[in-house]
Amino acid sequence: MDLELVLKAVLSLAVIGLAASFMLAVASRRFAVEVDPRVERVLAVLPGANCGACGSPSCFAAAEAMVTGDVPVTACTAGGQPVADAVADALGVEKCEVSSAVSMRQCGGGKVAKRRFEYSGVMSCAAVVRVAGGDLICPTGCLGYGDCARACPFDAIIMDERDLPYIDLDKCTGCEVCVTACPRGGTGLLAMRPADAGIAVRCSAHDKAKERRGYCSVCCIACKRCEKVCPTDAIVVVDLLAVVDYDKCISCGRCVEVCPQKCIDLTGRALALSVRDSDGAGPDVDGFEAMTDEEAASL
Amino acid sequence: METLSHFALLLVGGALVNNILLTRFIGLCPFFGVSNAMETSIGMAGAVLFVMTLASTGTWVFWNVLLEPLGVGDFLYIPAFILVIASLVQFVEMYLRKASPGLYRALGIFLPLITTNCAVLATATESVKPGFFKMNVAYSFGFGETLVYTLGVAIGFGFALISFAALRERLEVAPVPEIMKGTPMAFITAGLLSFGYVGLGGLFGL
Repeated sequence: MDLELVLKAVLSLAVIGLAASFMLAVASRRFAVEVDPRVERVLAVLPGANCGACGSPSCFAAAEAMVTGDVPVTACTAGGQPVADAVADALGVEKCEVSSAVSMRQCGGGKVAKRRFEYSGVMSCAAVVRVAGGDLICPTGCLGYGDCARACPFDAIIMDERDLPYIDLDKCTGCEVCVTACPRGGTGLLAMRPADAGIAVRCSAHDKAKERRGYCSVCCIACKRCEKVCPTDAIVVVDLLAVVDYDKCISCGRCVEVCPQKCIDLTGRALALSVRDSDGAGPDVDGFEAMTDEEAASL
Repeated sequence: METLSHFALLLVGGALVNNILLTRFIGLCPFFGVSNAMETSIGMAGAVLFVMTLASTGTWVFWNVLLEPLGVGDFLYIPAFILVIASLVQFVEMYLRKASPGLYRALGIFLPLITTNCAVLATATESVKPGFFKMNVAYSFGFGETLVYTLGVAIGFGFALISFAALRERLEVAPVPEIMKGTPMAFITAGLLSFGYVGLGGLFGL
């Protein structure tokens, strides 16, 4: 046993260790970064899902931006009013009102819509649209492979028996992650609407009504009956598709009643879970009554 | 001219001919771990380039100033180098956080992860003990050679990692049989990719 060698080994490691710890000790003083305590307070009240809906890459980045005033305290789309109030409390600023939005699906096809071939590959909408534009004949309809349900950071979307996404309005925060995940989000298959809106048009196709009826029995056929019955001119057929102006809509429900295709739907009711008949009969709308004239006038 | 071509050989040899990932299979954990997405692989490649260069030059100094003169380098190089690399990474992290928050955020989690990356240790070791991997070099590297060789290795690492990430992103949507999905297919792809790099073995008569 060579004692001298042992000594040298201990010595050299000790020298390296000491040099390194000295360097780190100096560096920790020299390069100390002070974290604003307000950032931590704001971060504590944010949802922490890092969904990115506000435009910041993470909740931490959003908290930093809220403290510096780069974004308003209402920036958290997912958190809505309660979070905005909590952030305002944490920062000691005045509370403001948030206009909240939720996601809506603008297609009622699902199993009823015709497919041009049988797809058996990666079960993902993003993959299906790469195969000759998708198995669905409708160029704007829901493919039904559930990319939105997998993408939702709040578990608000489930695929129901019709192979359509059902959006749980209690859980939906309007973060728009599903719209980004949907390969047809750009053509309005999934879109944002005000949280208090009463109706939704379950179709987003713009091709000719005759073609549309050929491959889907529940699409909008641009018959304009909703347009005529609407007391506030809130629903208008634009480019062969009924479009709702939610600023004008009073949720009276007359268009829902009059639509021959049953493609205008009440939002927020569990209707989405009812299965359409295979022959394409509309959803069960029993028990629904439109407002009377007096009720509509009182709004 | 002689030195210039020598440095060029070191650079190309480290980056392509003896690619650390695909010819020598060192540092495979990040190769399979972060190559799922292009974005993370670019972050990892940047962090490795940064840390590897610092670590190799740092350990070269400690080797030549302390370990070699004392004659303890032969058996002490691994703990000593790990010590140096770990403290260097810590130091770099602190410095970046203060001086360049943008870069700090871009490198993110990869910076501390590299502390225990075997590719970094291997490159640091080779720079002082080229016999560890025979490069037809009969002597220990000088400081300049260490720097150039490490840069070459790090560039080769980044190049292989990023090209592999691009392949894996395409594989995501390819019709891969159910039992081969994910990592098995990645292993086979890595093997095929490795053929190409092994084929460079005869380059420059190295």
